[in-house]
Parts: sequence; structure tokens; C-alpha cells
Amino acid sequence: MDLIIGGAYQGKLEYAERRYGLAKEDVFTCSENEGIEYGCRCIDKAEEFALWCVRTGNDAVDLLEQHSDEWKDSIFICEDIFCGVVPLGADMRAWREMTGRMCSYLSSKADNVVRIFCGLEQVLK
Amino acid sequence: MTILLSGGNKNGKSGYAQDIAVKLADGGKLYYVATMIPYDDEDRARVARHIENRAGMGFETLEAGRNIQNIFDAADENGTFLIDSTTALLLNEMYPDSHFEQADSEAASRCISGLLEVAGRAGNAVFVSDYIYSDAARYDDFTEEYRRSLASIDRALARTCDTVIEVCAGNLIVHKGELP
Repeated sequence: MDLIIGGAYQGKLEYAERRYGLAKEDVFTCSENEGIEYGCRCIDKAEEFALWCVRTGNDAVDLLEQHSDEWKDSIFICEDIFCGVVPLGADMRAWREMTGRMCSYLSSKADNVVRIFCGLEQVLK
Repeated sequence: MTILLSGGNKNGKSGYAQDIAVKLADGGKLYYVATMIPYDDEDRARVARHIENRAGMGFETLEAGRNIQNIFDAADENGTFLIDSTTALLLNEMYPDSHFEQADSEAASRCISGLLEVAGRAGNAVFVSDYIYSDAARYDDFTEEYRRSLASIDRALARTCDTVIEVCAGNLIVHKGELP
């Protein structure tokens, strides 16, 4: 599994499409309204999955752990929303923490971790 | 040489950008391209602080709140240009009459073509931007449009510039190219 992190609009998905030769149907785009398709080749906007977890009382790391066989060869893309100010709203605060923990977990399991900055790759692992 | 500098607020970008612009100019023409159009006392105080910070460094100030490529009308192209910042330039281009109701949807592409023209023609150019992409917030559509636009400018400059540097708490992360 590979992890791509970075800020909003930095070109993370574009980078993944280029590096892994992804087609549209290879990419599952997470949303706050539904769970994840663990077996997808590329799981984009993982931070939205973390928000769905917050809203549904799930723990992102627990869920991922339970399904680790399904995504062990996948590519995760996650926005590093945990860098900014601690939000005032309780669920936004929980979302930020959940995303941070999830990224640390994914990073520890990943073969490669890159951060995308202004479209440029920075190898972290 | 062309350089893009970005990073968080108050991390030392402007000070460092001034230092490298002086170094690149190497005694030649040196221009500070002021992009902020001050609207109130807070803005005017910031401008005054910036002017004080760069006093004695040899900068000639060019005002360019919009249409950045017009700086060459009154400057020597072979000189070194410090453009601080793309953030202010985009804001001015998006909201031409400072009414924050309707954003100009062509603003980002206009900024990109102007800035790339500057990058292509200037002897040296240092561009300063702001990294505003990593927080847990749901912004309104205007703010989101602004973030998306600024990121598209950053990425276009990052593709074109020889060197791309992130300033983090006064430290430098070189993402592309070499330090001058």
C-alpha cells in the first residue's frame, strides 16, 4: 500500500493517476455520507472517510485494521487537514484528530509515503 | 533564475525572499513588486512595516496590484524582481472593485499568464505565495474558490520555476532545484 498526503488542490490525484497509470474506474472517492470500498485500487479523499467515521460513531483505524487484507495493495490519498488551527466545532475537532490518527496508521503500514507540495513530490518514506 | 517560495503565515518567507533577491541581483537592478492595495489602517500599517524592513536593501518599489506583466513598462527586464505576493495579486484580480460579492472567474488564469510572463522575461524573479491548504474547516464557496485558484497559480509557478522552496518556521525545504 502507498500513501499520498498533502494539502487541498496540490495535485495529489493527478500525481497518483500519472504515477500508477490509474483510470477513472480505479478510483473510489470517499464521501462523508458513505463508507469505503476497501478493495478499490485507489482510495481518494480518505479524510472524508474519517469524517463519515466521526458522524457514524466508527473508528477509522479499527475499520481499516479489520479490512486490511482488502486494501493491502491499494493507494490511499489523504488531505493533511490536521495541520491547521484546532477547530471550534466538536465534530470538526474529532474529524481532524481521526484523520491524523488514520494517516499515522496508514503511514506505518505503507511501503511508500509521499507528500505533494504545489504538484511536486516529496518522498517521506 | 526563477524561484517560488511558499509556506505558512509568519514563517519568515518575506524576509528570506528579500535576502535571496538581493543575492540574485548581485548589485544589478532590484525591484520590489508591491501587490497589496491597502484598504484600511491595518493594511497601511503592514505596508509601512514592510517598507521599513527592506529599507537600505536597495529595492526600487513598483506598484502592481493587478496586471502584473505591466511592471516591465517601468523597469529594466534584466533586473531582479521580488513579487510579494501572488496571494494579494489574486485577491485584487478576483475582486476588482473590492466588493466581495462576485468573484471574477477569469482571475486565476489571468494571474497565471501574467506571472509566467514575468518568469519568462525577468532576469531573475522571486515569487512569494502562501500555503493555505492544510486545515480542518469547511469553507464557504468564495473561500474555497480562492484556495483552488491560488493553488492553481502555485502549481503553474512550481512547474515553471527553477527552484521551489517551502519555508517552515524559518527553515527551508527545497522541493525542486537548487538554492541560489
